[in-house]
Amino acid sequence: MEYHTFSELRESYAFILPLMIFILIFVLLPVLGTFINSFFRDISFMQRKFILFENYKQLFNDSDFYGAIRFTILFILVSVPLEIILGLIFALILNEAVPFRGFLRACVLLPWAIPSAISGRLWELIFNYNYGLANFLCIKLGISTGPINWLGSSLGAFLGIVIADVWKTTPFVTIILLAGLSSIPIELYSQAKVDGSNFLQRFHKVTMPLLKPVLIVALLFRTIDALRIFDLVYVLTHGGPGGATTSLSLYSYRYFLAGDFGYGSAISVVLFVIAFILSVVYIKLGRFAELGT
Amino acid sequence: MIEEKFKSVIIWIGCVLLVVFCLTPFLYMILISLSSSPDFLTKLGQIEFSFKNYYSVLSSKSLHFIDYLRNSLIISAASAFFCVIIAGLGAYSITRLALPGKMLILFFVLAVSMFPQISLVGYLFKFMSSIGWINTYFALIFPYVAWILPLSLWILVSYFAQIPRDLDKAALIDGCTGWQILRKVIFPVAAPGIFSVSLLSFIFAFNEFMFALMLTIDYHSRTIPVGIALFQGLHGEIPWGNIMAGSAIAVIPVVLLTIIFQSYIIQGLTRGSIKG
Repeated sequence: MEYHTFSELRESYAFILPLMIFILIFVLLPVLGTFINSFFRDISFMQRKFILFENYKQLFNDSDFYGAIRFTILFILVSVPLEIILGLIFALILNEAVPFRGFLRACVLLPWAIPSAISGRLWELIFNYNYGLANFLCIKLGISTGPINWLGSSLGAFLGIVIADVWKTTPFVTIILLAGLSSIPIELYSQAKVDGSNFLQRFHKVTMPLLKPVLIVALLFRTIDALRIFDLVYVLTHGGPGGATTSLSLYSYRYFLAGDFGYGSAISVVLFVIAFILSVVYIKLGRFAELGT
Repeated sequence: MIEEKFKSVIIWIGCVLLVVFCLTPFLYMILISLSSSPDFLTKLGQIEFSFKNYYSVLSSKSLHFIDYLRNSLIISAASAFFCVIIAGLGAYSITRLALPGKMLILFFVLAVSMFPQISLVGYLFKFMSSIGWINTYFALIFPYVAWILPLSLWILVSYFAQIPRDLDKAALIDGCTGWQILRKVIFPVAAPGIFSVSLLSFIFAFNEFMFALMLTIDYHSRTIPVGIALFQGLHGEIPWGNIMAGSAIAVIPVVLLTIIFQSYIIQGLTRGSIKG
């Protein structure tokens, strides 16, 4: 046990206090308030009433809620692997001695840096049925004979969101993986080259094993982030058509917007619990491995 | 060296595809914003350049575009400022002082950063309504600071931990207080870290959408992402030219910061997520 004087302790608490107060008031209390609220019937202009698990019972019979879960899980399963694969390819390229490296890195960062609400609007125009860039390219490149109804069909809207999200978040994965790649000692590669291995063998035997911890971090980070997707679906498809692209966050938001805070809270508590479990897994896997050493 | 040749060709193709993938949407945005009608692709070659979209977005009072942009800049700058100070104090306490349970605090803060925003926003709305802050800058600045603090703390802890202890021991012997050491020794030495946290905080606050959507009502405090997301035409037809002109102007601050200071942003992102 370390022993500290009272004044030392007082100083250390004083320095961490503002941070704790901010997080307590503007993050922890709201989460707690949401949790408590999920046990109430709490609708604007109506008497607030304690109803215990009624909201959760209602959730179990709510087909739209299952629809939101289905969309959110499908979105994670499709978009996250795409982002990891594409991010890995980009990172491998940027890790080479390419010309204009600074320019390339700036290019990669740009989609990540702009507000997703704005990129959502941009993709809405790209997917425009009559004169959008997507249909123009699809027809010119012979991918499709006629215009595709991107945002008006369930599959099209889903793909549209995946494409827009891959564009926006691949940069983040690239940056993380690039840091992992550049920490692999170059001697390992030259040694493998001397041993007569080809590019694919080196990737398999040297790059992948050493990159694995960073890949896991990127994977979990992206999963937790994709789980709470909101901006893009709100702007690009409004959750449509017919609720086909309504994520859990958006579904919960709709109830808040309509003034039904009890039911909206119950939905977000479910999302919170899923995210919390994932983040515990992440912290155990990612952090302890590094800080333990 | 056929393999080397082959590899360099592959990498060249990869670079071209990377640039096309990342920049095409931006070029499309700029083209649409500069053309008099958004359907120029259907009548290719007949693009009619004009600045009328930019002119109408910047001059029309009823669009409140300038108001949104000003709100965004003020709110993001204030959030970044408070975030750096508060995270700096916290990181100093964790790396330098006798704080019990440091690791616990770090992991607790990390867990907090993974909370979904939607699990806060309903209560925040009620809370902000009850204290009369809805539609004010405070309604966004305070939650933004709290929201961005975890990442900032992690980044700064990693920077502060690298500063040799002897530096602040010397200052301590000279009779400096903790606050003076932080201000005169740690902050200047960790300036790159401070700068990258400021940049990231600014970008995160500038890009935030859900809180801004829920906690603001009109141009008094509405930020630019919400302004552009809710930008609709008066007569049914969406004014794409105007929206793209507005978007192009709105992304200038973050695009410039990203291009000029990319190495700081990359440093911050990697330290905040993997290097611990």
